[in-house]
Parts: sequence; C-alpha cells; structure tokens
Amino acid sequence: MQKFILGLAIAAIPALAQAHDFTSGSIFIEHPMIQEAPPNAPVLGGYVTIHNNGDVPERLMGIESKTAEKVELHQSVVTDGIARMEPLAEGMEIPAGATVSLGDDGTHAMFIKPDRRYQAGDEVAATLFFENAGPVEVVFNVEQRSAEAAPNHEGHSQ
Amino acid sequence: MTGKASTGMRKLRIVLWALVVVAAAGAGFLAYGPRPTGVSEVEAIYAKPFQLVNQDGAAVTEANFLGKPSVWFYGFTHCPDVCPTALAEMSALLEELGPDADKLNVVFVSVDPERDTPEIMKEYVEYFDDRITGLTGDLAQVSTMAKDRYIFFEKEPMEGGDYLMGHQASIQLVTADGRFFGTLATEEGFDTRMAKLRRLIGQG
Repeated sequence: MQKFILGLAIAAIPALAQAHDFTSGSIFIEHPMIQEAPPNAPVLGGYVTIHNNGDVPERLMGIESKTAEKVELHQSVVTDGIARMEPLAEGMEIPAGATVSLGDDGTHAMFIKPDRRYQAGDEVAATLFFENAGPVEVVFNVEQRSAEAAPNHEGHSQ
Repeated sequence: MTGKASTGMRKLRIVLWALVVVAAAGAGFLAYGPRPTGVSEVEAIYAKPFQLVNQDGAAVTEANFLGKPSVWFYGFTHCPDVCPTALAEMSALLEELGPDADKLNVVFVSVDPERDTPEIMKEYVEYFDDRITGLTGDLAQVSTMAKDRYIFFEKEPMEGGDYLMGHQASIQLVTADGRFFGTLATEEGFDTRMAKLRRLIGQG
C-alpha cells in the first residue's frame, strides 16, 4: 500500500509539472503530448486524454496540424503475434460522462512527415475536430520518450 | 450353438487383447520414442545465410551475429508506436544489464528496406542505443531471411499511396549457435524480460 501511494505520488509529479489542458463546452482536453522520436523519424506519435462532461456522446473525428503533412488516427493491434496498424476510420467515441484517451489500447495520432525535427520541450499546435463541439485548438507538448509503453497503456497491460 | 458363441467370444477376446497391445505400443512410442522437435534439436535458423547492410553501410552476413547470443527484432521507421517503444524498452534493458550487455548482439532489422536506407537506420537506432545494430538492404534478402526464420511481415497499403507494415511483434532470443531460444513481449513486464535476457546470456 505504502509503495502504491509512493508510486502515485511519483506519478503525480510530472503530471503537475506539465499540467496543460483545453476546454470547449463540455469537452475537457487534457495534456496533449507527442513522444520525441529519432531525428529523422518520418512519423510522430501523439496522445491526448478527452473527458466528455456532457450528456451526449462526442466523437473525435480527426486532427490537423500545419506542422505535419497529415495527421491520422490509428490503432496498433497485435493479433496472433503480428503487429499491425489500423486507421480509426470512424474516429474515437467519447461516451457521455466518460474519459477516453488516445493511447488506450494502442490508439494514437500519427503525425506524418513533420516539417522539422521536434525535440522534448517543443510545442506542436494542432486542431482537434469533434463531431459536436467542432474544432478545438490545442498544443501538443513534445516530451522525452519513457522506456515504458506508450502513455495510458499502464492500466491495460495487466 | 453354444460352441459357435464361445468361438465368437474367443475371437472377440483375441481382437481386444490385440488392440490393447497396439495401444500399449503406441503409448510407449509416444512416451519413449524419438522426438522430432526436441529442444536440443531445434534447427539453427539464425545460422542460415543472408547478406544485408548495417547502419554504417557495411555488408554483413549471418556470421557477424553468431558466437554470442543475440536478440532480434523486426520493424520499420515509419512506425510511431510499437517500434519506438520496443527500441526504447530494449535500451532500458541493456542499461540494466550494464557490462553484460556486451555479451549480446542486439539487432533491429527493417522490414521496410525500400524506405529505410542505412543512413536512416543509423540515426534511428543510435537515437535509442548505439549498442543496437540496424540492418537493412535488398528487399529480396530481407524476405528470404524472414522466411528462413518464420518471421512474418507484409505491406499494408493506405489511402494516398502510403503504406504501413504489419510485422512480427515479439522480440526473438537466439543462442550463440543460431538456435531459437525464446521471445520477449512488451506485456511481460520489465523484470520478466530482464530474467529472460539473463538466462539467454547464461545458457546461450
């Protein structure tokens, strides 16, 4: 238990230090982030947590950013030992009252062909497009890649 | 009539006993007979010949990676999620191994050699860990190697002419003489993967 609390405390430190969020109506967007990639990486993985505080289901339809040729929503899946990526053709649903993350179950935003190298500390402006809430301007913080799995994967690996 | 019946019974009894003998022989064969795929007889699939190019542009063959236990993973640089995570996790494992990391050859093979040039591979693998060797080269060579090693990969076309690769997710552990030893998977947790690497170094 003590270890667990200590773990929580340690986990909370970076979250506090980097807290950044965006609101549009009943949509609360928490900590959009991109993991730093190798210098010439042709793609960057982006992650974000979305809370739907409203009474109707919401859907993240897509992401656009001037810093990349395009941004696609994907899900990495491992089936029978084979890793594949599938487009989230219908976006990502955030049921009423629910919190859903790009990062859950291998989902991520793929920033394709970024216009330059982005390193930890850089910021990437982007627009999230919601079915009901419409476009919402956000900033993805570029962060050091941790040796652990992608963000928000922790709760799903058990 | 009774004579006929008892002859029939005797015949049936002989047939049943014969079946028992056959079943016993079969069970004995299964228990003690030769095993076609016993652990010690695993084919040295990682000793099969190949010719690829490392991240410094130098030609390498299977011989470069025998003589030490090795760790192999297959991926591509147009991969935002699974591959960089695997490389970052491998770097963390090598860090934890410390000097023992030198007892392993760690190799990342591009399954997308058409886009992953040696220069791209160099920046990519060395960003994570310069103890990791990056291999790329001729698509036919990569395909042959993958086939020899039962590694699956395929191109998955996307809208607009781009493509992604589906590929073997687990990391392959290989003995110094090129035999399959086991796998590492992300969901196993750090300590389990670490223990497997230590066992590979100890026994490989």
